[in-house]
Amino acid sequence: MAGKQITYGLYNDETDMMAAVKHANSKHLEIMDVFSPFPVHGLDPLLGLSESRLHIAGFVYGLLGTLTAFLGMTWIFTKDWPIVFGGKPYWSVPAFIPITFELTVLFAAVGMTFTFYILCGLGPGVTNKVLDDRITDDKFCIAFDETEVGRGEAESFFNSTGATEVHSKVL
Amino acid sequence: MSTYISDSPTHFEFTARHRMFLLVGIALGVICLGMTWMVDDEFHSRFWSNLLHNSVFFTGIALMAGFFLSVCIIAWAGWHTVFKRVWEAMSMNLLVGLVFMTIIALVTYMHGNHLYHWADVKSYVAEDDQILIGKSGFLNKNIYLIFTVVFVGLWLFFMTRIRNLSIAEDSDGDASFSHHHKMRKYAALFLPLVGFSSAAMIWQWIMSIDAHWYSTMFAWYTGASWFVSMMCFTVLSLIYLKGKGYYPEVTKEHIHDLGKFIFAFSIFWTYLWFSQYMLIWYANIGEETVYFKERFDKYPVLFYGNLLVNFILPFFVLMRNDTKRKFGSLGFVAGVVFVGHWIDFFLMIKPGVAINTHHAMGGHGDHGGDHGHGAEHAGEHGHGVAESVGHGAEHASEFVLGTTFPGFLELGTMIGFLSLFILVFFMVLSKARLVPKNDPYLEESLHHHV
Repeated sequence: MAGKQITYGLYNDETDMMAAVKHANSKHLEIMDVFSPFPVHGLDPLLGLSESRLHIAGFVYGLLGTLTAFLGMTWIFTKDWPIVFGGKPYWSVPAFIPITFELTVLFAAVGMTFTFYILCGLGPGVTNKVLDDRITDDKFCIAFDETEVGRGEAESFFNSTGATEVHSKVL
Repeated sequence: MSTYISDSPTHFEFTARHRMFLLVGIALGVICLGMTWMVDDEFHSRFWSNLLHNSVFFTGIALMAGFFLSVCIIAWAGWHTVFKRVWEAMSMNLLVGLVFMTIIALVTYMHGNHLYHWADVKSYVAEDDQILIGKSGFLNKNIYLIFTVVFVGLWLFFMTRIRNLSIAEDSDGDASFSHHHKMRKYAALFLPLVGFSSAAMIWQWIMSIDAHWYSTMFAWYTGASWFVSMMCFTVLSLIYLKGKGYYPEVTKEHIHDLGKFIFAFSIFWTYLWFSQYMLIWYANIGEETVYFKERFDKYPVLFYGNLLVNFILPFFVLMRNDTKRKFGSLGFVAGVVFVGHWIDFFLMIKPGVAINTHHAMGGHGDHGGDHGHGAEHAGEHGHGVAESVGHGAEHASEFVLGTTFPGFLELGTMIGFLSLFILVFFMVLSKARLVPKNDPYLEESLHHHV
């Protein structure tokens, strides 16, 4: 897969970066992505990002865990291998609750983690290309896809909004 | 130091309309209490249990408001600062709590009611009731009175100090934040005090109604119930105040966080509810199961309804992100759960009082000597839960408003106490600025974002 030609600018401060994002929006420049070392409050609506749907997956995984545990125990203790514990009935719902709870949490947590890794293309042995090492440290970055925003236009935008560095890279 | 200036009213205006509405509510409560007294049995057990039920419930809400405010102060939290006056005003209801709990303690001291079997010393000593004799060092009328007055008095003292410092900061806060440092000291002393004394008071006020029975989770369980009720009241009052044009600074972000607390602590409450039940169910010891057998047999609707309203409803409704941010859905849940926890306290108090009254009237053998029954019952048939519920039908004839289900008199009394709570809350709230000035965390709170 051929890489994208990307023009990106680095900012020293998240307030400069936020102002630049607003400026880009007003000039209808299509931002490819924004990178920052930490979550910046109020950035998501500016970029028009919709809410993550990961938690819906989490609910489904959790429900799957609930059903696995509860129906599994019901089958084991009433059909497969019924044993009397302490004079309790075979189908002892209160005794099932803690395990049902545990499996709900386990399925939801593990399921969401794997889903998140797959969606982000992360995992053991995967090396992700990064635009600039310092975007994980102290720089805030706005990136444009060159097919959307031409290099000249991007550079003048970065210069007018106070970016400290402007680079171009194929990724 | 903050230079924040708002266009909205700085003070809450306690209008004549508010006063009239709330006084009507209080009058309704007084009439209902009076009517309860008239229709009551010879010991006025319905009257006294209603008074105890509501006094404990609303005192606890006031305490939890102060407790959580202190937690926020100690934790260097800033999100709540913009509406901290709401919690300060709620906590001042400890004064009302002090009055009512002292009345109950004094009447118990003079043997004027039969809420507590342990207060009836002659009877249990004559029966050679070793359990109550063993507990008499803690469960006696002197300790009950002294603990009630001293601890509720101390809670009130600490919250008054913290509130006064907070208000003094408005007018002469300095750059070194000396008021806030003092508040931290008071809060740091208040928290361990509340931690131990609230448990002691819960044992005395509520758990000792079923004097033979005990559960090590009971104090946590009751505390969680108070806490959720307090959060519900906070949400409802903020929605009301915002609707009247106050608090434009309190945004959906603050409300969202309060919604999370209702959600989280409803789950915490359920965790305690279930753990308390499951340990007793598993061990299957008659002395312990008798508590639940009573509730299965005579209170099946409330017993399971309690779980439905206080767990299933908030859990599934508030699970989503947006339902915690909409005033409609959050306000609805807060209202229902508030009543739900009031019913939770009904379930803690009424069954035990009914047994104690029965006992005091001479109906022996139904409680003290009959502990083996629950265990024998569950053990023999091997399906205690289903059997006990089935039993409920046999006892259906014992359905009595005010004893096995809240009647109109209970509802009216609750409205009376709630009106009094809101009256004090509004009066205290109107005395100081709604949004504090000069608080070191004010700016953080104004820009709160989740």
